[in-house]
Formats: sequence, C-alpha cells, structure tokens
Amino acid sequence: MSMVRDRAPTRITAAATATFAVVGLGLIAALLLGAWPLIGEPRPLANLLGGLWDPLRGAYGLAPFFVGTVVVTATAMALTLPFSLAVAVVLSRPLPDGVRLGATRVLTVLTAVPSVIFGWWGLLAVVPWVRARFGGAGFSLLAAGLVLAIMVTPTLSLLFYQALRSVPRAFRDGSAALGATPDQTLVRMELPCALPLLIQAVLIAVARAVGETMAVQMVIGGQTVLPTGLTSPGATLTTQILTDMSIFPPGTRGHAVLDVMALVLMVGMYLLVRLAERWVAMP
Amino acid sequence: MGLDIHVNKLSVWYRGHQALRQVSLDVNAGEVLALIGPSGCGKSTFLRALNRLLDEDLGARRTGQVMMEGVDVLAPEHDITALRRRVGMVFQTPNPFPFSIFDNVAYGLRLQGTNDAAALRRTVEESLRQAALWDEVRGKLRRPALALSGGQQQRLCIARALAVGPEVLLMDEPTASLDPLSTARIEELIGNLRGRYTIVLVTHNLRQAARVSDRTAFFAHGSLVEIGPTRQIFTVPQDPRTEEYLTGRMES
Repeated sequence: MSMVRDRAPTRITAAATATFAVVGLGLIAALLLGAWPLIGEPRPLANLLGGLWDPLRGAYGLAPFFVGTVVVTATAMALTLPFSLAVAVVLSRPLPDGVRLGATRVLTVLTAVPSVIFGWWGLLAVVPWVRARFGGAGFSLLAAGLVLAIMVTPTLSLLFYQALRSVPRAFRDGSAALGATPDQTLVRMELPCALPLLIQAVLIAVARAVGETMAVQMVIGGQTVLPTGLTSPGATLTTQILTDMSIFPPGTRGHAVLDVMALVLMVGMYLLVRLAERWVAMP
Repeated sequence: MGLDIHVNKLSVWYRGHQALRQVSLDVNAGEVLALIGPSGCGKSTFLRALNRLLDEDLGARRTGQVMMEGVDVLAPEHDITALRRRVGMVFQTPNPFPFSIFDNVAYGLRLQGTNDAAALRRTVEESLRQAALWDEVRGKLRRPALALSGGQQQRLCIARALAVGPEVLLMDEPTASLDPLSTARIEELIGNLRGRYTIVLVTHNLRQAARVSDRTAFFAHGSLVEIGPTRQIFTVPQDPRTEEYLTGRMES
C-alpha cells in the first residue's frame, strides 16, 4: 500500500510531462501536416519569400509580414531598451525602501495588464498621435512599435532590475571603495557582471514582441503590401494569421500558408530560447 | 609615510539605532592600529565611516569629524572619490571582481583614466609584489581572479587597494574567512606594509591584534573604551571592561 502511495507523485508528474510532450509534438505534427501540401509544391521557398500577397490569384508571398515583424520588433526594442535599463538602474541604486517597493509593485501590476488593453489604449492615444504628427491613417508599423514598447517595458525593467541585483553587494562596495562613482561602478562593474542575464532579458522581451498579436493587430492597419516606411500600415506574421484564419478553411492552399507561418514563428521562437539559454550558460 | 588621522566625536546611527557613540581617537602615520571588541560593538562601522562607505547606506546618519591633513573628510563638500583613493579598504570576505587578475588590480587605475598599457603593467606588477602575490601569479595575469585560492584572493584584494596609491589601508577582519597558513601570510604582509601605510585593522582574533599591531583600541557597545600600546592593553589594561573581554568574561 505504502509503495503505491510512494510512487504516486512520480507517476503523476511523469504523466503530466508525457502529456505535455505529446501535446507539443502533436502541435508541431499538425502544423507540419497542414503545411505539407505547400512544402511539396515546386519552388516553395521562392513562392513564400515573394513580396506579393494575393490569395485570390494564388500568390502567397510572406515578405511583407517578415518585414513587418522585424521592423515592429526592432522599433519596439529600440524604444524600450534605454528606457527599461534606466528604470532598472534607478531601482538598483540606494532608494528609500518604500519607493523601491512601490515602484516594483506598479511594474509587476503592469506586466499583468492584458494586451488588448494596451491595444485599446494604442487605438485611442497612439494612432491619433501618429496621424497628427506624421500624417496618413495613423495605423502603422510605428504605432505598433510604440504600443509594443510600452507593453514590454514593465517586464523588461523588472528583468533588468533582477539582473543588476544579481551583482553581489561586495562587488559594489569593493568598486566604491576604490573611488568609483556610482556611474563608473555601473558601466565598469555591474553591466559586465550582469551581461548574461541582461542579454537573456532582451531575448525574452524580443520573444514577447515577436509573439504579441492582439495589441499589434489593433493599431498596425493590416496592409498586406510591403511597407514603404515606418509610418505606413502593415502586418506581422502573427497578425496576418489572426486576420486570415477565418477566411481560409482547412484544406485550402491559404490555410497551408498559415500553417507555414505558424511553423516559421515556432522555429524562430525556438532559436531565441536556445540563444537565451546559451547566454546564461556563459560563466 | 602614511597619514595621521584625527577622529573627533564620531557618532553613527543606523535607522535610529546608535552604532557609534562619540568616538575620538588618533591614528598615527605609518602605525598599525588594531580595533578589537565584541560583535556589534561598532568596529566595522567606524572603519566604514573613515572612507565614507557608510554614505552608500541611506539609513545611516553620522556626526563628528575625521580630520586628515587638517581637512574634515566627512564634510559633505569633500570629494569622496579623492578620499577613497587615499584610504583603501580590504573586506572581510575576499571580493575580487569576476575579471582577470590583471583587470582586478588595474581597476582602480582605469577609474582614474590611466589607459597607458606600460604604466598599467608596471603598477600592477609593483602592487602584486607589495602584496606578496607576484611570484604565484606572474605569467598568469590573464587568468580569472576567482580561480585563485581564498588566501590568494585576499592578497589580490590588497594589491588592488595598493594599486591606486593610498596612504591609509582599512582592513575589516581580512583573515576571518582564511585558513591558518593564509592568515599567517596576510599577517606577515601587514608587518611588511607597516611604516609605508597607516593601517587600521579590525579583528576578532586577539592573538592577531597582539602579533601585528602597534596600538590597540577596544570598543564596546559603540563606545571607545580604551586605546593604548598593544603590549599595555594586553598586559595591564586600564579599564576593567577591557580586562573582562580579554579574559573571556565579557558578554556581548
């Protein structure tokens, strides 16, 4: 009896792990299966890398969405990186305990805000701002990048803060005792020491930005042509899947393309995770 | 060589708790002054006031003066960076940075803007020689400092402090985490540095205080109880509390 009870936790956890593996592999298998008709066509890469998205005429070029994803993510990261790092540095400096606690609590709450709310706010505030400032519709890659930047900042600030906090107090004291100013300690000691964790934080933020769908869809404009600039509307891989999933029924060629897009995203994410692990494994 | 230090009515509070009470004492240039006393008696706080490392703690408040060459280095307008170049510090646990041996010793010099490779090499070698570590690490300066043994790490930290050319060396229980052999080497090193630097040494090891110091100050409950020549403190203490502590009868 007791043997059975002793083994129960192991069995439950093993079953959970197995389920998880089956679901994960099943997901990939389903996507591969769905994408197969397209991959089996002649010159699949040339078709998919083209710049023309015209499903009615059988053209499924994904270049506009690749460009959209990269540009939106890069814009968001360029905006959030310095800002998040600044927030983290302030939090890691001597502060009254109440201020630090209050600030980290606010950031933690902000990380839990659903993305649709950020998108809603983007619709009400960011899109009109871009329209007023740069002309055009306002729905644009820039608006999407701005919304994403705001959305990612709480998470990235907290991750950066944890990375800086991982530097032992003894190192900071040692640096200060040698006559380093707080900024010198930051640049010459804390940032190099925390570098692996900082890079991991950035990769997590990039993954979040690449994967975000709803908030981006609400402000990006949903254009399927190659964007001509930051302020022109566009689409990303994730938003285009959202847009088209109700249009292409399973079995159609368009549905196979959506499966390919999902596969591409998963492979990209996998590479990001591997990169993140590699950096943290560094001494 | 070294520097006279005059401490005048130094008091420190940590978040309302008074850690030092009106401590006044002089440290003579080139001597080794040992600070002894039960845990929590304010020895380390005293040390951290001398190079203003206390300033890094928002909860700490202090009054009083620390005079060096007629200047109150605790005055808010006094240049804290300049002070810390003159007053080096070695900590209780060796804290080499996770860089190479060379980069550790060169850290303080680079802070001051020295980037000339030859000058850096010269000072690094000289500092490592002074810290009696050169013979063990020559030819291995690019290796990570954290690969050194505990005793070597502590001597590396001493070399790092010496590299910026201080006049005073504050040592906060530098052998607390070391084995007897490494402890003996550090004590020997302190003996060699005597005269060239003013050394203030906090220690829980009474024999160490007796072995290496010229004078000894006994602290209890944040106050200076007694200060005098080491031999006298250990043989004929003037205050009954000192005698109680030295004979193991004092409860902290």
